Amino acid sequence: MDLGIDPERLNACVQCGLCLTACPTYRVSADETMSPRGRIALMREVQDRGAPLTREVVRAFDTCVQCRACEPACPSGVQYGSLIEATKATLASRRGGWIRALAFAPLSRPRLLRAGSVLLGIAQRAHLVPRRLGLSARIPLWRAPLRASGDDVWMFTGCVMDAWQRDVHLATQRVLEAAGFGVRPTGAGAPCCGALHVHAGLHDRAVALARRTMDGLPGDAPIVVNSAGCGAALKEYGHLLGTDEARAFSARVVDVQEFLARHVDRLPTVEPLALRVAVQDPCHLRHVQRAHEPVRTVLRPFVRECVELDDEGLCCGAGGAYSVLEPGMAGQIRERKLSSIGRARPDVVASANPGCSMHLAAAGVAVRHPMEIVDEALRLSARAGR
Amino acid sequence: MRLASRTRPRRGVPERDAALVRELVAAVGAPNVRTDDAQRALLRRDASVFDGGDAGPVCFPRTAEEVQAVVRAARRHGRAVVPRGAGTGLAGGAIPLGAPVVVSLARMTSIGEVDRDARAVWVEPGVVNLDLTRHLRPLGFHFAPDPSSQQVCTIGGNVANNSGGPHCLAYGVTNAHVLAMDVVLPDGEMARLGGLDPEPSGLDLRGAFVGGEGTLGIAVRIAVRVTPNPPAVRTLLASFSQVRDAANTVSAVIASGIVPAAMEVMDQRITRAVENYVGAGYPLDAAAVLLAEVDGLPDGTAHDADAIARIAREQGATEVRLAADDRERALLWKGRKTAFGAIAQIAPDYYLHDTVVPRSRLADVLEQVYAIADRHGLMVMNVFHAGDGNLHPLLLFDAREPGMLDRVHAAGADIIEASLAAGGVLSGEHGIGVEKQAYMDRMFTPDDLDHQNRLRRAFDPECAANPGKVLPTGHSCADIQQLSSAARGLWV
Ligand SMILES: Cc1cc2nc3c(=O)[nH]c(=O)nc-3n(C[C@H](O)[C@H](O)[C@H](O)COP(=O)(O)OP(=O)(O)OC[C@H]3O[C@@H](n4cnc5c(N)ncnc54)[C@H](O)[C@@H]3O)c2cc1C
Ligand code: SF4
Ligand code: SF4
Repeated sequence: MDLGIDPERLNACVQCGLCLTACPTYRVSADETMSPRGRIALMREVQDRGAPLTREVVRAFDTCVQCRACEPACPSGVQYGSLIEATKATLASRRGGWIRALAFAPLSRPRLLRAGSVLLGIAQRAHLVPRRLGLSARIPLWRAPLRASGDDVWMFTGCVMDAWQRDVHLATQRVLEAAGFGVRPTGAGAPCCGALHVHAGLHDRAVALARRTMDGLPGDAPIVVNSAGCGAALKEYGHLLGTDEARAFSARVVDVQEFLARHVDRLPTVEPLALRVAVQDPCHLRHVQRAHEPVRTVLRPFVRECVELDDEGLCCGAGGAYSVLEPGMAGQIRERKLSSIGRARPDVVASANPGCSMHLAAAGVAVRHPMEIVDEALRLSARAGR
Repeated sequence: MRLASRTRPRRGVPERDAALVRELVAAVGAPNVRTDDAQRALLRRDASVFDGGDAGPVCFPRTAEEVQAVVRAARRHGRAVVPRGAGTGLAGGAIPLGAPVVVSLARMTSIGEVDRDARAVWVEPGVVNLDLTRHLRPLGFHFAPDPSSQQVCTIGGNVANNSGGPHCLAYGVTNAHVLAMDVVLPDGEMARLGGLDPEPSGLDLRGAFVGGEGTLGIAVRIAVRVTPNPPAVRTLLASFSQVRDAANTVSAVIASGIVPAAMEVMDQRITRAVENYVGAGYPLDAAAVLLAEVDGLPDGTAHDADAIARIAREQGATEVRLAADDRERALLWKGRKTAFGAIAQIAPDYYLHDTVVPRSRLADVLEQVYAIADRHGLMVMNVFHAGDGNLHPLLLFDAREPGMLDRVHAAGADIIEASLAAGGVLSGEHGIGVEKQAYMDRMFTPDDLDHQNRLRRAFDPECAANPGKVLPTGHSCADIQQLSSAARGLWV
């Protein structure tokens, strides 16, 4: 069966296995069907050799977190992301992706998402939300409004994050302003980047959202993103749409830490917070954007100590909607992350991705966005100076 | 494991295996037995160019006792077992022939407490080589054998293949780092081979087992030597305008009495491929580069590094560079260690060979290797553990081209002939597996082979452990089954 994968890309894998241990699902299962090498081999079995899509084969694809840790681990340069995205798109179209399409519909409709979130927040307070959804952080019922302070940069606000973690946006904006940049929040002009749609194989919807986002953010100001998942998706528009316009758009996209690392000298020097901070690298920052070093560059001046986790950037199991769709596997992957965090003994974990922080917070970890930490240091010293 | 338990045996293994599968389930629990087509298709092969055999039921035992129970169940049904680690073997050692029970050791990953007096630690066979070193590093130790696949290959696989790596020049290959083992013999009995005492008494069965490629039983607990981290390390990169000069430098360094921790040579093609991938700072115009490392006390390493630099210049090095800091050192090594994969950017498939020649003949044999590749119209790249004469010619090709694999195998055969003719041996570290079986009688006399055969039968009288490997046809346990399709190349 044709999975719609480019044969050249599929053929690039030499089956050396060097990617196995970078893969979170292989790490917890020791099962080749849940490894990058295994998944690629199964894609070949199905696409090249006509093997049937058995339950185990589908399971192998469904359990992939799409963290893409296998890409930097692969010396042969296999573009695993594009292989699995094509596979998921084909599977989604086969089994009536409309259920998921419906589930994801509110993401691009801010008011609907907001209404749903408020309902969820109320339900949460009434203890009506099943624990398996892993929502620990309370969804806010009220949000401070966003306002523009200039036009130096766009601040991408996105969908779920804007509904659930607006505080992070406010902190991000204050930090950017402290570095002297005028900020324009993207808000309703670009309601959703489409990352979750790409992951779920909802290709057409993702393309439509990409176009809408591009139309909503004209000009050439940098588009600063504080969610690693959204940043990765926006940076891949060039690849998704294959047009010059999309490539030019993607070139404007920058992770907020990546952006600030270039301008650290513009941030005021302040008293560091008395915190031992462990940096958790979101997969889409480390493996896809490969922009995880800047998080340290930006954080270091503002905290007492910045420590590394000893698991070489292994995924935490959040994976966009993964923790909801595959709670068992996501939980096992998180266990490994938790023990690594335990060994690092931090006061707080810094995570630059909303999905990761919610997933970790649900297990009782104290997590904050790096921008919230920097913002707090800046605000404390401003208050002390007054 | 919760997820696996949702899959029950179906299609996959034939009906006649139903009773066997029931016993395996009793031995390790349903979630740790897999019989589905997807799983079996994947475990049909390893990282070698061979297209694979036929896997029977697959088991994932979690303890030594479970391994024992699996082996016994297989025995009761007259079925062979094939142990498997990470499946990174390049000689086809983990390829199942004749639908045996595949025993994956990958779920046995615990590491015991370090015994500082004996400088040893007991580990389970599924522990990943680099995980062990990462675990030991903060304690001041590491596991010395460092195959280029170290981030994934397992200690069990290292033991079975007696694997080596760049740093085995001074420290010795895996055999020098295994003190004792508990092994499940092919009849299901457990035996301890070797011991932590410096001078264990009796026959060195431990030594016989290391390198046994799974044909002597399954290692279920391994006491490995832990090596103290050296206080100082210096890494040099020397460039040459001729491959021969690099090879001669290696001989001259050893002749001078220095034993570097590592000495690796890469030719121009591979240097360029690697540079493109990691940007390690390798010179692109050199015909060959030599990566040498010395470790020990600061004074000694400074002295040795100077001496190596001098010798390299005497032999015609065009540039010698000392890594300035740990970052640069790590980058130089990253380049070397990813060499095999990086070349995949040039051609879709590669065949990595592994032979050893006397150091003094390195330069001659290398020239022959280039000539052989030319003769067969193939591209070859060379990267090798120069210090111990271990050649790794890489033949690059596209398996989809008709007739290509025949050419690749013909060239491989010629390379082996050339190495043997120069007084070399068949395999430096990848093992014999199914890859070099047919060459065993070129290397060994019938008498030698007979002894190897008898040793094997002493461990495995019924050919129940990884049959069809190592010993050539005509010897027992060899003629189990031909590969389902010999050397179709990488799984296309
Ligand atoms: C890119 C690449 C680079 C490599 N570089 C090197 C290198 O530098 N040096 C080197 O020596 N090798 C190298 N190899 C080869 C390979 O990685 C080694 O042989 C490694 O030791 C195999 O380990 P594994 O866990 O993958 O074993 P597998 O491939 O799973 O098995 C190898 C053999 O060991 C047997 N076996 C596995 N576990 C056990 C056990 N517990 N008890 C008994 N038998 C067992 C199997 O039956 C099989 O015969 C490389 C391979 C690749 C793909
Ligand atoms: S994806 Fe890359 S690292 Fe993994 S098996 Fe294929 S070639 Fe090797
Ligand atoms: S994307 Fe992540 S989960 Fe999927 S195969 Fe790669 S490493 Fe494994």
